[in-house]
Formats: sequence, C-alpha cells, structure tokens
Amino acid sequence: MDRHSRRPASRARTHRAVSPWLFLLPGLGIVAAFNLYPFLTTVHKAFTDARTLTPGTWVGLRNFQDMLEDEQFWVALRNSGLYVLLVVPFTVLLPLLLALLVHKQLPGVTFFRSAFYTPVVASVVVVALIWGWMLDDRGLLNGILRFLGAGPVAFLGDEWLLLLSAMALTVWRGLGYYMIIYLAALANVPRELHEAAAVDGAGALRRFVSVTVPAVRSTMVLVGALSSVSAFKVFAEVHLLAGPTGGPAGQDTTLVMLVQRTGTGLNGRVGYASALSLVVFTIALLLMLLVLRADRKEDR
Amino acid sequence: MTASRRAAVTTAPLLAAVLALSACGSGTDTDGGSRADGKVAGEITFQTWNLRAKFKDYFNGLVGEFQRQHPDVKVRWLDQPAENYAQKLSADAGAGTLPDVVNVSPDLSYPLAKAGLLMNLDKEKVTAELKGEYTPEAWQGNALPGLGGSYAFPWYLNTGPLFYNKALFRQAGLDPEKPPKSYDELFAAAETMARHSGGKTATLAGTPSIEDFGRYGVKLMNDDATRFTYNEPKGVELLTKYKQLYDHGALDAQALTNTPEKSGQKFLEQKVAMNPGGAHDLETFKKNAPSLYKNLGITDAPNNTGKPNMYVMGLAVNNRSDHKAAAIAFARFVTDRKNQEAFAHQVAVFPSTKGSLRDPYWTEHDGTDEGRVRVASAKLLKGAVNYTPVVMSDEMKVVLKNEVAKALQGKKSPRQALDDAAERSDKLLKQG
Repeated sequence: MDRHSRRPASRARTHRAVSPWLFLLPGLGIVAAFNLYPFLTTVHKAFTDARTLTPGTWVGLRNFQDMLEDEQFWVALRNSGLYVLLVVPFTVLLPLLLALLVHKQLPGVTFFRSAFYTPVVASVVVVALIWGWMLDDRGLLNGILRFLGAGPVAFLGDEWLLLLSAMALTVWRGLGYYMIIYLAALANVPRELHEAAAVDGAGALRRFVSVTVPAVRSTMVLVGALSSVSAFKVFAEVHLLAGPTGGPAGQDTTLVMLVQRTGTGLNGRVGYASALSLVVFTIALLLMLLVLRADRKEDR
Repeated sequence: MTASRRAAVTTAPLLAAVLALSACGSGTDTDGGSRADGKVAGEITFQTWNLRAKFKDYFNGLVGEFQRQHPDVKVRWLDQPAENYAQKLSADAGAGTLPDVVNVSPDLSYPLAKAGLLMNLDKEKVTAELKGEYTPEAWQGNALPGLGGSYAFPWYLNTGPLFYNKALFRQAGLDPEKPPKSYDELFAAAETMARHSGGKTATLAGTPSIEDFGRYGVKLMNDDATRFTYNEPKGVELLTKYKQLYDHGALDAQALTNTPEKSGQKFLEQKVAMNPGGAHDLETFKKNAPSLYKNLGITDAPNNTGKPNMYVMGLAVNNRSDHKAAAIAFARFVTDRKNQEAFAHQVAVFPSTKGSLRDPYWTEHDGTDEGRVRVASAKLLKGAVNYTPVVMSDEMKVVLKNEVAKALQGKKSPRQALDDAAERSDKLLKQG
C-alpha cells in the first residue's frame, strides 16, 4: 500500500475517534459544569473549615470527627433511617393496590386516576400547610376526635407523632406518582396468565400473589429504590410540619434539614455541611445499590 | 498505555483544575473599593429589604431627588423579599456582587463586616463626622463587638407593643384594663388564665427567646462578647418559670414548634391571649378578625430592666464599592432627618435621627389606635436596647430554642439545658 492511500484511511480513523466526542461535548460541558463541578467542590469543602464568606483551610477529617460528637447528627441519622424503614414498604405496596383498583377501563375511572394523581402536582408547601391545619391541636382531625369523645392528640407537638405525620404525608403525596409507574407495568402483564390462573381456580388474592406480583416485581424494585433514596433525603415535609428548628427540641430533624441548617446563611458552616452532604450521598448510594443487588440475587 | 492509565492521565489534570477552582469559589479579601472621600459620581446599587410592595413611590421619589441633586450619580434600586434575605446577601457576598448600599440589621452586618465587606463608618473621617446626626443608641446599635466601630448608618427603629385579648382576660376573671406589666404579673395572669379555662386557653404561644432572657434581666454575654452567659442563675429562674407555665397549660400546646408567624396566627384565631406585634398588625386585625379587634388591648412588653427591646435597621456601604463616595452620599441622604421622618410618617417605624422623636407626631395622640401605638412605642424607644447579641447566629438561636424545649419537656433540668446551650454556642462562636 502506498503512502497516499494510507493517509485517507488514517484520517477516517481519526475522524471516527473524534467526531462522537464532538457531539458529546455540549452534554459533557453541562454535566461537568452543573453536576461534576459542584460535586467535586462539595468533596473538597468537606475537608475544610470553609464558611459562607471565607474559603477556609484544609482540616482533614475534623468535620467527620465533629459529626460523631454532634448529638443532632445522630438524631438526624436516626430520623432519616426511620423514614426509609417505615415509608418505603408503604410506597411500594399501596400504589400497587391503588393501580390495581384503577387499571381496568371502567366508566369514571379516569376521574379517580386524576384524583389520585392530584397530590403529586400540588405544591408540597400547599399540601404541608393543609396537613398542618388538619393536624393542629384545634384542627380538623382533633375536631373529629373531640366529637367522638377522644382527647386532642398532639400530632404536631409530640416528636414521634410529628415524624409519623410527616411520613404519612410523604406516602400520600407519592401514591399517585408511583401508581402511574405501576399502571404502565400492569398494562404489560399478559391477560392470558390471569385467565389461565382463574381457570385453574385461583381466587383474586392468589392471582395477585402468583401472577401480578411476579410480573411487576422489577417495577416494585424500581419503586423501592427510588422511594428509599427520596425518603432518605426527605426535607420539605418535615421542615414544613416541624418548623425550622426540626420539631420539639429538634428531635424531628432529618439529615438534609441539618445540612440546610448548618450550611446556609451568612454564618453557614459550609465545610461541615459539605461533610454531612457526603455522608447523605454515600448512604443514599449504598441504599440504591443494596436494593438493586437484592433484585439481582432474586433473579439468579 | 492501558485504558485505566489513559483515563487517569486525562482526568487528573481535570480534577486538579476543578479542585483548584473550587478553592476560590467563595471568600473575599478585605482590600479594594474606591476612596470614601472621592468624587460623588457613578452608578450605584441600593438594596432594601421587602419594601418595594408598599413603598415604591416613596423610594422612587427618594432616588429621583438624590439624582437631581447629584447629576453624576445613577442609583439602581433593588428590593429583596423578606424570606431568605440572609441567603441572598451571602450569595451576593460570595459572588462579589454585594450592592453598594445595602439594608442590614446588626446581626446581618456582623458576618459581612467580619469578612471585610462593609465599611467601618467610625474609621473613615468623612463618615465618622456624621455620627452626631443620629441618636447615640442608634449609632451604638450598629457597632459590632470586636470589630472596632459602627458598620451601618442608623435607619429606622422599631419596638413592639404586646397585644392582648380583653375578652379572654374577662372570661378568666382578669381585669382587662390592667394588663401585666412585669414578668411576675405576666406569669400570674397566665396561670390564672390556664386554671380558669381548664388548660384550654394559653396566654403565650411561644417559648422564651434570647430577647425574653434579655428583658428578664439575664446577662446574655460577657463584656467582650466572646462567651454566652445566659445560663446564669437568673436565666435558670426564667426557664424554670416557663416550665411551670408549660406544665399548667399556660403556654400553647405547640409552643415548642411555633414560629412567630404561627404564634401570630393563633392570636388572630383567639386561641392565645397575648402576642407581641407592631402597629402594622392593627390593619390585619381590623380586616381579618373584627371580633378580636373589638376586644384588642395594647400594652408594653414586660421587662425587668427598665429598658425595652429595640429593632435596629441600618444602611451599610460596600467596602469594595467602585463608587464609595456616591454610596456614602446616598446612604446619608436616605438616613438624614428629613427623609427618615418622611418614611416614618408612611409606616409605623421610628426615625433614628437626633431630635426627631420630639416632634408632636410621636409625642401626642391623634385619637386613633395607630396613634396610640405610635406614641406608646416612641416613648419606649428612649433607653431601649437591642437585646439580641449581634454575634448570635441563626444556628446558635436554634441551639438555644432546642435546649429550652428539652427543659420544658422535662428531659433536662433548666440549668442543664442552658449550660448545654451556652457550651454548644460558645463552641460555634469559637469556630468563627
């Protein structure tokens, strides 16, 4: 092969190697500027004593050591952990049941689908305000309880009831969103399987356990992974119901609330808040991996 | 070269660049800016705190008049909403876009001044000589401990009366015309109210704040503002009394989580008998709760010190302004006697210029409720102090609130709770 014929071939090779990167460049630029850069900045800040108005100096692991001695950190970790444990099972199961109720084409079913989806599109602030009024010591729920002769319940005054109320709000808000995901999954379940099971004498519950659940199992895992990460990172619901101090004596503070409280404002401890953010990131990542790994094990 | 080595070679410089960039993401130096005694010229920005909605015409007029007097200056007026004002300031400060003239309270100016971003008015000759135009209390109110001077031109002042519900007082067998004046009377009235209503009507909606400790006569910090001292015996005494109130239902059941807005709402709904407020609340009561307005009582917030609480607003000058002389001239113009008095005629605030409060507008009743509140509040301003220590950050306030809540819940003794709060706040203070 002479030199002239080799040159276009090498140019073509170069072109093939470079041009895909040129197409990717705008996307990579956006990812680098808005995802990678803030993330790396956070990692760097986590090892400094940076404040809002001062860049700070390198302090090694001191922020993480401080965290271990910070009572509020342990309270927040407990609350975020409890949120995952108690919210996720409900966000996996209840929307599935709801989807089963509305997936058949019946007259008026669209109304119910829309109604169940309404909390998803409503602003979390508005929703939390409404729940706050309902749960107030002189709110709707306590009014009903009084009417029934029961004493007022301190939904917003007791640390545990407040946390459970926020969890109920999270589950309620997520029902419609996850229901839509399940509706898509249910549409793909072959009708013949249900018919065959019915012919074999399986009742509704048996068909649900033996046909529906296996068919939507991967969707359940997806919902589990998504809801566990968002439950671990909960902020708005608890912040709005419990107030900026995180409930009575700060006992309802979650990890993200702690990040917000310590890292913002003119005196914000940016270094410490970044270290907290890294812990939240790591645990959320581990949760996600754990759920996905459990799914793979199940597959084998 | 292996794939992993190739990846390392390409990512290492990128990582290094990003980390280097991140290191200079925030922070400020203390130098820069133009001369304070230079030519009054250039374009400056002026930022207020939630004032555009109600006072657009006043500020437009002010800016127009200043520009007429100083044709070489152009003023761009910005206004920020009340919510997250500190966050907005910190974002501007970090980005180097802090306005030339900025509306601040002393607790907001402290971190900015500490970072070298605000001008020390006592240090510059051109500003230090203006000191005599303002009341000494107001000038002192903007002085920052440890930073050797005052960092904002005193602007409007405010103090709040305590509103009470005469109907609820009457129902509890209390004399609605004799509201509590001292803390002891307040606690006694609250106990009576709780007893008569079987714990159903609370007198107060919130837990004691740092201002309450101050008004009660507790020494909040040591003299050089390097250590919190609110855990002294008087502080423990106040918290012990609040614990008794909480146990007897004299504090609202949700007092541990109520924000000032929630407390105000509960007073509006006539669920609690007393609440602090300002003259601007009268309009809300009149419009949204006419039956409350009919039974509204107005009294002074109790204090054991003889000195009421005062909220201080100021106008600070950006130390790195490119047109510092123009910024100073404008800040001085907004806060001069004529303009402060004009502003205080538009809204229930008080001027901080020397001699202003001797004007009949602030000394004589005009027969209206607003006038009554205005005259009563203006009288309170004499000798009033800002009880909130300027070095106390929001995080330190949360620490105190949470420890107070633990004491009220009985999880800690009042002494232990205050000791823990002071210790934790001291640690935060040391961290800078």
